[in-house]
Parts: sequence; C-alpha cells; structure tokens
Amino acid sequence: MTAVRGRGARTVLACGEVRTCLLPSLQALDARAAAQLLRLRADVPVRISERPVLHALSPEVLTGVDCRLPTADGSRVRGVGTVTARAALTEGRLLQATACFSLPAAGPDTRRPWGQYLVRPGLVEPFGKLPRQATAAGVLRGAGRGELDLGMISEGLLAQVRRHPLLDRRVPFKSGPTRLRWVAWRTPAGERAALVNFTVAEGGLRTVELRLPEDVPASAAAGLCEDLALHDWLLTTVQHLLDNSRLGAADGPSAVGALYPVVVHLLHLWMPRAHVDPALGHLWDALEDRPGFSRQWENLSRRIRDRLALQAVAVPHQALGTR
Amino acid sequence: MLIFSASDKGGTGRSVTSANLAYHRAMAGDDVCYLDFDFGSPTAAAVFDVADARQATEDHGLHAYLTGEVSEPARIDVWAETEHQVLRFPPPGCGRLVLMPGDVSGGEFATGDDHLRRCVDLLMNLHHEFDLVVVDLSAGRSYAVDMALEATAQPEMRDVTARWLVFHRWTRQHVAAAAGLVFGKRGILAGGVERGHGEEALRNAIRFVRAAVPDPESPLWSQVSPTQSAWMRKTDGDLKQLASTHGIGYSQVLGSVPLEPVLQWREQLITDEDVLDSQVANQETWQALSRLAARLTDDKHWEQA
Repeated sequence: MTAVRGRGARTVLACGEVRTCLLPSLQALDARAAAQLLRLRADVPVRISERPVLHALSPEVLTGVDCRLPTADGSRVRGVGTVTARAALTEGRLLQATACFSLPAAGPDTRRPWGQYLVRPGLVEPFGKLPRQATAAGVLRGAGRGELDLGMISEGLLAQVRRHPLLDRRVPFKSGPTRLRWVAWRTPAGERAALVNFTVAEGGLRTVELRLPEDVPASAAAGLCEDLALHDWLLTTVQHLLDNSRLGAADGPSAVGALYPVVVHLLHLWMPRAHVDPALGHLWDALEDRPGFSRQWENLSRRIRDRLALQAVAVPHQALGTR
Repeated sequence: MLIFSASDKGGTGRSVTSANLAYHRAMAGDDVCYLDFDFGSPTAAAVFDVADARQATEDHGLHAYLTGEVSEPARIDVWAETEHQVLRFPPPGCGRLVLMPGDVSGGEFATGDDHLRRCVDLLMNLHHEFDLVVVDLSAGRSYAVDMALEATAQPEMRDVTARWLVFHRWTRQHVAAAAGLVFGKRGILAGGVERGHGEEALRNAIRFVRAAVPDPESPLWSQVSPTQSAWMRKTDGDLKQLASTHGIGYSQVLGSVPLEPVLQWREQLITDEDVLDSQVANQETWQALSRLAARLTDDKHWEQA
C-alpha cells in the first residue's frame, strides 16, 4: 500500500463539474435544517459556517468508476478509481453539487484490487499514459456515452438532495439550473494559481480552466468553482428576469410580482470569495476586472431597486386618479 | 403548469396543435418547454424545424433519460436551432422555447419504479424552471399516458397544476373514441382514480380540443352544391348532439381549431408571417390557436362544468 501512495501521488490534472440550482423549498433553510439536508454520511459531519453568509458543505461521497475517460480526440483510455462528490447550500437557498477527480500522468496497465483505489479517494488512474490535452478538452466538452460522466454524478447527487423529505419541493420563483465544468492544470508547488479561461456557453453551460499549484488541494479548486458558479447563476437568473422586456407592461407580468422574489431571496446572496481557499482568492480579481462580475451585479440590483421605486411612486398617483 | 396532450387516435392534430400552443405561449412571453413523449413516432422536431439539432441529440433524448442511460434529456433551444426563417428571429420580449425530443429508436416501454421516479424528478424540475410545460403523449391508452397519470398522482406533485387536453377530429368515430379515452372503463379517468387521483379534480382538469373542424360557413365550401351544403350543416349539428351525449359537449371543450389547409399538407407552426404576409394560412386558425393558448392558464375555462 505504501507503494501505491508513493507512486503516482503527483497528479497532473484535476477536473470537475458543478451544478447550481435554486433549492426547491418555499422557505430558505436555517443552519440546522441545512445540516440535516446535507448529511450524506453518518460518520462525517456537515461543515457549517455562518459568516459572512450561511454556507453548509456536505461530507464527500465516493463513486467507483471503471470506464473510458472523456477525450476530445477519440483516443480510448480506460480509467479506474473514485470520483468524489459533495453538495453545498448557500444561505439555505442555493443548492450546488460538485463531482471531481484528479489524474496522474500515467498509471499501471492492469487493474488492481478495489481496496487500493479506495485509499486514494478522488483519484482516477489511467491505463498507461494519460493524453492530458485531449482529456481536459473532453471533460470541458462533456462526456459521451460510456465515458466517465461527471455531469451524471453531480446531477445524481443533486437529484438525491432535492428528493429529501425536508423539502416541500416548491419554489418561490422560476429559474433554470446551470452547470460549470472545470479543469485545473497542475503546476509546480509555490507557483501562483491562475485563471486561464472562463467561458459562458449556451444552455446554461460554463467552462473554467485553471492553473493550480501542486500544494493546493483539488478540493480548493472545487470550492473556487462552486463560488464562481454560484455568482454566475445569480447574474444569469436575475438578468433573465429583467430581460423580459414586457415586465410591467399592461399585458405583461407585474414588475413587483416578478421582482419581489429577487429582492427577498437573492439580492443578499452576493458575497464573492466568502468561502474560497485563501490561495485562490486572488483569481476573483481577474473576473472583477473583466468582465466585472460585481459591477454587473451592482448594476442589476440598482435596476431592480429603481424599477420597484418607480412602481411605488406610481401607485399613489393611480390611487388619486381613481378616487 | 403542466399540460398533457392526449388523443385516442393518431392523426388528430395533437402534436401539431400542442406545438403551436407552445409557440404561442412563448411568443407571449412565457418560458415554455415541450416534451415529446410520443415514443415511437416523435414528430415535434419536424414541427419546430430542428431536424439537424435533432440528429445531434440522437441517443440522449427523453427515452434514454427515463431508462436511466443518461442523466438528463437533451434540450433543443428552438429559437437558436430552428431552420425556420421566421422562428429564427423571435420578437423581443418572448420567452424561451425548449424542445426535449424523444428518441427515434425508443419505442414504448413498461413503467417501473425507476422510470417513475425519474419522470417525477424531470417534471418537477421543469415545473420549477418553466412557466409552461407541454407534454405530448403517444396516442391511445399508452404507457406514456399511464406514466403521466402515475407521476402526477405522487404526493410531491400534489401542488403542481396539471391539465389535460384530449384532441379529436370532428367525425363520429373520433368523437366516440375521445369520449372513450377519457370516460371509458379503461379510460384516463378510471386509470387516474386507480392511481390515487380524485375523480372530481381529475375530471375538472380534462378538456377537449376539436381539431381540423370544417366550418360549413367557411368560404372553402362556397362552391359546393346546395345538397352538399345542407348535408354538411346537418352532419355538423348531429355531431354536436353526439358530442354532448358522450359527455364532451360545449362545456367540456376548451376550443376548436378550424380545418387549416396548411396543416393538412404539412405539420408546422403557423406564424404570423404565414397569416399576414404570405397569407398561406387562415386568420381564423391563428386566432383559434391564440385563443386556445390563452385559455390554457385561464381558470375561468377550467371551472367545474
């Protein structure tokens, strides 16, 4: 077993997928309920932090895999090992599920007993040499049939949590889920982590590429990507609500009715970096610089407040008019 | 809100009318999702003109999702993927229009617990995302109908408004068959009650839609002989009588769509361009579809008859 630990302990690539959605519950959950919801394992407690926002993180659960790795160039590489998955709940409102794993540069050509894979949670070993570029591109593109599918594992966890009897399975407003796929290239320890790429594709898909020093654990990258995904979801959702240009028109939905849930449930959730590993916190700066996440959010929240203020001004006018 | 589209027979205009209703609602600003549960003969891709996108989603449609082969069914954004000249430029202010295709190769299958759970999850998630979810079910008392009844009877779906449209053509056979599909011994109503639906509530959630109804007064028939004209009027009257004796009379009908030559030739969406610019489609058809689309969510039309 020591041989296993010693060999291949260095990983060259970490990948993951985060799904983000509104928790199907009319009321936001408090810390106690959040802990109950995310208790995926009896032996490990749920991590709760209440400052600066309520954040609950489930213990990690493992999924054993033995299948082809997703590759963009069609090369067939078998991978065996375990994928870790975890769920997170922010302010008792936004639910996320992440599945991720790391890959060493090469692995043995034969399959070993399961016990040896189980002692290295979150590691998937390729048979032979890992085609690094093709695998990274394959993960970002999404798995095909029969390939290691991170989306399936994260979606499965999300579905499991959403079915929890604690939830009334009702939502205060309509919103779509988003998925964020990420890959992190390992760089020598001591180098500075960097955000190489952040793209917004159609159908709620986002992709992120990182450079991650070896001394920073993959779970920190997962945490960063959860944070990015959460704030991207907020921007996407609120923007979509405001995009309905018939909002408040005579035959459209009333502005107050449509915007009220945003004010009650979402506006206070903006808190970038709140639960990001300090070694990765600076990656947010790039996004704040361009495209400017927080700038956009401020702009959106201002639009909503102005919209509601205008409505409030109009109401007494109408009341006077109808007298 | 969930809308289930059912019909006893094929060729009742169920799919094409449902797709047109989805289109109208999306144009009116709703986020709409259209699910092709017509396993065996999925047609929605043709109606929305998304054949190429359909090819790309070949083996991960609804069928593959329900059988657990993929974690989520493929989605086609109709505005973005359509090859239809008019649909490609939706007016500002319209909502999303998403198609979830069935699988070409996927036939009917027995419903098991896993299928049911996945079906409930899907309907719940879509209900949380979209204003309107239109589910096109295979004709007859199919597995698709059973699954829809079973899924909506689950306790977690109790608060989700689900309404049923039963499509039929305006002939003796079709009227009788549509009534049989709902009120028959093995009908939707009996099947629903068996699965835990309240009879009264389910009955109030079902409305009929008469499709391809020839109007004896229409200019289409202006050239027919007086005998033919008299015969058409008489038959139309008889049919109304027949419908009401079968319990699907006026009060149970959400609307009717007139016989539309364009739809006789081709399953397609009727756009305002077809009506106003090229004028290949009739104004009445557009209006009927628009009325029907509005009534889907208008409680006045769903009150106890």
